[in-house]
Amino acid sequence: MNPVALISGGGNGIGRAVAHRMAAAGMTVVVADYDHAAAEQVRGEVVDAGGKADALSVDVTVAREVKALVTDVAKRFGRVDVLANIAGGSFYTKRIEDFTWAEWKQVIDTNLKGAFLMCREVAPLMQQQKSGRILNTASNYGITGSAMRAPYSAAKAGIIAFTRSLALELAPDGIRVNTVAPGPTDTPRVMEKETPEERRQRWQAAIPLGRTGKPEDLAELYYFLTTPESAAITGQTFHCNGGLL
Amino acid sequence: MRLQNKVALITGGAQGLGRAIALGMGREGAKVVVADLQVEKAKIVAGELEALGAAAIGVEVNVANETSVKKLAEQTFSRFGRVDILVNDAGVYLKSPVVSKSEEDWDKTINVNLGGNFLCARAFVPAMRKQKSGRIISLASSIAHTGASEFADYAASKAGIIGFVKALARELGPDGITVNAICPGSANTSMPRSHRSEDEVMARLRATPLGHVLEPEDIAGPILFLASDAAAYITGQAYNINCGTVMI
Repeated sequence: MNPVALISGGGNGIGRAVAHRMAAAGMTVVVADYDHAAAEQVRGEVVDAGGKADALSVDVTVAREVKALVTDVAKRFGRVDVLANIAGGSFYTKRIEDFTWAEWKQVIDTNLKGAFLMCREVAPLMQQQKSGRILNTASNYGITGSAMRAPYSAAKAGIIAFTRSLALELAPDGIRVNTVAPGPTDTPRVMEKETPEERRQRWQAAIPLGRTGKPEDLAELYYFLTTPESAAITGQTFHCNGGLL
Repeated sequence: MRLQNKVALITGGAQGLGRAIALGMGREGAKVVVADLQVEKAKIVAGELEALGAAAIGVEVNVANETSVKKLAEQTFSRFGRVDILVNDAGVYLKSPVVSKSEEDWDKTINVNLGGNFLCARAFVPAMRKQKSGRIISLASSIAHTGASEFADYAASKAGIIGFVKALARELGPDGITVNAICPGSANTSMPRSHRSEDEVMARLRATPLGHVLEPEDIAGPILFLASDAAAYITGQAYNINCGTVMI
């Protein structure tokens, strides 16, 4: 039986590229996304490319939805070998005094609580298997902070410490937990907000490799962290940002 | 095979971790220069690589000696014509408290561990710049983050490597060259055995969150990843490989 990879936020951007990469390596991918049409689209792409995939809907901020998702995955496949928590986003760029409590909670819950809820449901399966790899997603902003993105930066810094704690908790069961921290990455969501030229002007000078990231660049790193080559790696943060940070 | 037609040079490649890296590179299709102070051992590893079907040479080098590093570069270019991957693994690990550490030991540790990175960069970067591609991967250590009693020079040299790698990544990024460090925890090689008993070494190696003894191959794997096209967008990083003992 193929290893099973559950990918939250798998319908778009980095999550979509990760779904493709894992499927190309022979994993059965479960594309879980808030946007069901997007998840279905990626499922179709993976299957057309000769891979195995399923698409499921989930709002990672809602505990019962996450529980239902993981129960469904366990019923269909009986196991989860890789959990990639990629659902997230900064949603807003504005000053702290302009953030409402509801907006703060939306950003924190999507980026941080979502990873907690997914890990809480999936970890017991991995503990039974005595194996598993969990990949959480932070950001360079989790280290540097970012003006106008205080909740997002806080959530992403939280992911790094959450990952370290969970790595220690799950290490005795042979489960590895690591963080991938993307830099500026050309996902459809960010590309809607600026032209390629604006983006180039904003980032080129700051990034030693002279370009922003592609979702595929990140997907290679997520994939590496699932392979036996990374067997001795847990609790770590892996930046992939062209040298920005 | 991820490194077909690439030329990889590993300093300190004659034994332990360096040897595992050299063999890994060869298995991935690279032509390999095994550079080491102990040239006879380097030639043995080159022979092992040839037995795997990889072109290889064993070359003598003292990475803390500019003339010696220049000779290594000449031999590399005359045999293989280029260099795509430089792995800086040559290092020394000398124990003594700071108050009684000799100036000779201090100089040796800093000049070999850190200075070797500088001299090798100077010798091989011009060719990488012309190619508009290259990978430099330097072995730092968990000790760069944690320190280690009676190894202050070693800790300083390894932390220095991280700073050097980050600066060099910024300098060479525009030329498409990536520069990264790897920070391994204590591994199952001769290095920890130089100052501890076998029982003590094994007990310490087992005492990790993953309960897994860190083997040279566990460190070579991530280095192969960084050397491959899959890691094209990763530069200026210091990745930790330590079975969960240090998280920073």
